[in-house]
Amino acid sequence: MQRVFETFKQAQRIGSGPLLSSTLSPVAPPEDPNRLYDIYTSSNETRIISDARSAIIYQQTGYKLSKAEGNAWVDIYAAYWKAVGQVIATETDARAGTWSAVYDAWKELANLLIKGYQSADFEAWTLPCLYVTGKYLRTFAIKADDQARRRGTVTFSSGFQDDIVSDYGKNDKLEDAARVINRIFTLCISDRAPLEESRKWGLYYVINLLFKTYFKLNSVPLSKNILRALQANRTDMPVLESFPASHIVTFKYYVGVISFLEEDYVQAEEALTYALALCHKDARKNRELLLTYLIPCRLLTTQSLPSAKLLAAYPHLEQLFKPICQCIKKGDLAGYDKALIAGEEEFVKRRIYLTLERGRDIALRNLLRKVFIAGGFETPKDGGAPIRRTRVPVAEFAAAIRIGSEIGQTIDTDEVECMLANMIYKGLMKGYIARERGIVVLSKGGTAFPGTGV
Amino acid sequence: MSTHTAYTAVAARKSLNRPAMQSHTPNGKMAASNESQTTTKTKKIDWPMGVRLYVQRSFVPENNIPGIEKTDMEKKLKEVITQAAEHDTLNSIDWDTLPLPQQMIQSERAKLASSSAAPHWSQSFSALFVKDSEKEKTSKKRKSAETTTLPVAQESLPPWRKTNARNNAFEDRISHPKVPSVDRGDKRQRKFEEDFSRNDPSKSDINLEKRRRRFEGVRLGAEYTRASSREDSATSEGEAGPVVGRCQQLEKKYFRLTAAPNPDSVRPLDVLERTLEMLKRKWRKENNYSYICDQFKSLRQDLTVQHIKNEFTVKVYEIHARIALEKGDIGEYNQCQTQLRGLYAQNLGGNPVEFKAYRILYFIHTCNRTDMNEVLADLTATEKQQPAIKHALDVRSALALGNYHRFFQLYLNTPNMGAYLMDMFIVRERLLALANICKAYRPDVKLRFITEELGFESDGETVQFFVEHDAQHLLEEREDGVRLLTGKAGALFEVAKSVAFKRVDIKGQI
Repeated sequence: MQRVFETFKQAQRIGSGPLLSSTLSPVAPPEDPNRLYDIYTSSNETRIISDARSAIIYQQTGYKLSKAEGNAWVDIYAAYWKAVGQVIATETDARAGTWSAVYDAWKELANLLIKGYQSADFEAWTLPCLYVTGKYLRTFAIKADDQARRRGTVTFSSGFQDDIVSDYGKNDKLEDAARVINRIFTLCISDRAPLEESRKWGLYYVINLLFKTYFKLNSVPLSKNILRALQANRTDMPVLESFPASHIVTFKYYVGVISFLEEDYVQAEEALTYALALCHKDARKNRELLLTYLIPCRLLTTQSLPSAKLLAAYPHLEQLFKPICQCIKKGDLAGYDKALIAGEEEFVKRRIYLTLERGRDIALRNLLRKVFIAGGFETPKDGGAPIRRTRVPVAEFAAAIRIGSEIGQTIDTDEVECMLANMIYKGLMKGYIARERGIVVLSKGGTAFPGTGV
Repeated sequence: MSTHTAYTAVAARKSLNRPAMQSHTPNGKMAASNESQTTTKTKKIDWPMGVRLYVQRSFVPENNIPGIEKTDMEKKLKEVITQAAEHDTLNSIDWDTLPLPQQMIQSERAKLASSSAAPHWSQSFSALFVKDSEKEKTSKKRKSAETTTLPVAQESLPPWRKTNARNNAFEDRISHPKVPSVDRGDKRQRKFEEDFSRNDPSKSDINLEKRRRRFEGVRLGAEYTRASSREDSATSEGEAGPVVGRCQQLEKKYFRLTAAPNPDSVRPLDVLERTLEMLKRKWRKENNYSYICDQFKSLRQDLTVQHIKNEFTVKVYEIHARIALEKGDIGEYNQCQTQLRGLYAQNLGGNPVEFKAYRILYFIHTCNRTDMNEVLADLTATEKQQPAIKHALDVRSALALGNYHRFFQLYLNTPNMGAYLMDMFIVRERLLALANICKAYRPDVKLRFITEELGFESDGETVQFFVEHDAQHLLEEREDGVRLLTGKAGALFEVAKSVAFKRVDIKGQI
């Protein structure tokens, strides 16, 4: 614990947030694997408060804390010491402690820290402490919930409710953590201090933490509240560019994914493109995540496929998207269906299945376009340039669509017409169906398939 | 006021702590103290200080409990003091910690609700002599005394005195080797359980479970009283244990619980089983939804308060869900569906495939992509092959791709009761398909084509649909039949479709 206090003092002297936050880490650094154990054994339940008090308050050299501030830090380190004890107990012996207890102890720490900002005027440079606490609060909550699920505690609905099951697939601790992190968010966004010493600088980090939690909880819609609050406060916010790039990249990623899930592909594309441009070129995992959503996005907004070169740089993405992209390009409907089924599990997991599914329209468009091109040209009547045959029998399209379809799977002419109608309705093909005559009359002058040159 | 000399002296001292007392004292209080003083006079007893303070405390406005009449309180107070005097315990009772009369009334009422055979306050009164140490803690603090003294009193009662003395208490003690487990998944085991409950209900593991719970309930019984003593104690209510019902009536009107249930009005499992059979018969015969829904809600409530969670529970929810679906009561349907989801997760039997398919169809209706994605993620490969689920998935993909042709074919071949769900979005999908057709076909199509493509039952029904959407002017009678002038529709269906899609009503969303 003495070393923790030494670091604390050092950090207070030079005003280094990251250094200060390192004293609150519940994970031993690799170069000092026994750190937590040392911390815990260096004090005890009765002594910890006085230890902290004498180190933090009585031996202030080179820094000056107000009384309230000093006391707040004393409480924080006492809570930290207790939490460390729980971590050690749980990690070494599953019977001695539970992650739930670790979570509770850590939450106590988080609450004390929040209180420090609310009533003891902690300065904004100490924000990284909030980051560390919030980050591990989430981690511990997930572990606690996992453990609770594994133990399979059967619970009955609480209160005088009429129904049996009240907490299906529960994430009690994580939901609780979300509330605590939300308080941290409020703490940051409501800070009225001048910008240079405002807690607003911590906003994006905290928001990202919240988004991450909401995603895990499958309550993505809650993110909208955060975005709304942010929008309402945008006038007294520092400009986006002045925040650390890492905060902004993550933030834009989440904004992109949230828009993506709401099928607002235009906004999603914008946010994801912004993030990708700002993302460090060596942050491969992050770039990969961004591309996972940007690629399906572009497929729908601009009907464009990723280049082979781009995919080649990311083997995982290549494996994910290449088969489907090839089928779309070739207009291979049967192959497309197979590729979609083959990748379904992974696509669903990444929440891109429902979007990729709509790529089938592009595959179909490409197939129909091929039919159109194969139709060749009509002899020009008055010696002008030859023009493509724009009256295509439905039967020709039907034949193309039936290629590769499995035996027993019948696609009747009405269904083919339905698919053609969809193409026209969605603006991927221009023309009309003359049902009585069994032909499709396509638009002349190179606009039959808009944007594809024919 | 100052005429009551004996009294005023005490009051003056006390008023330091509670200055509000004197001024807030209504006439009723004086009446009561008069009363107690008359008792004083008739019996010539010198009331100990403790008693006086106790009486005084009873009238302090802060100690009022909403819902308990002053007259009741006064009556109780008199009763307490008289009894103490008669038993010569005036000096031995620790008046400082004795619950106030209003608290006694409250606990009595709560106990009455949780078990009619519950001991009266006199029991908790006598219990006070047993446990002294715990009382100390709660003595002075009004707020906590109100909530903690009661459990103390109850806990001191041995379980056998608290349980209802029904005959089955004995048969419940018959031990049974089978340990109830939450995930008894395989059919054989369920069958086994079924057999048991049919042949000898007393030996079924359900009853074993029930017995175990009952004793838990006794231990937790105290919580009931505590919970009901505060209106805002929604969280602590949760700690309450299950009730064991002993109502033998088949029918029961539904009331939303606002206090701990009374076992006398809760039906045990065997009665509920008969209730279900009766309700099924009545539903077939009378088809009276408001009656049925009400009965099912009380049935569900009885299951819940007794913590009965087994195949029967699943059955109840399934049947109620189906009936609600048939009657288009989406709110109730959703409640059942949510419960079923949780119940299926514990492998209690039933028809998970059927209801998972409904779930998918419902998410199509609400256009809920997030939840749809979740459902897809949860489905196993085997489940995807089950006809009902496969059908729902095909419906989903047909709509996702705009393949109305396939969608309406699927609509006409919906397994189980899925069509009731599909009916909820069939109109908007028809409008979408029409918007589509009107844009793609020129110059017209036969009405017959629309009837067939959009799954109408007859041309007449199709015409009716057009009339309903003010589109009859698009129909033209020709010698070879009625035609739809697609070229003239303009944005009519496009607009109607957008409106229809916006109006997704979500009740009791899962």
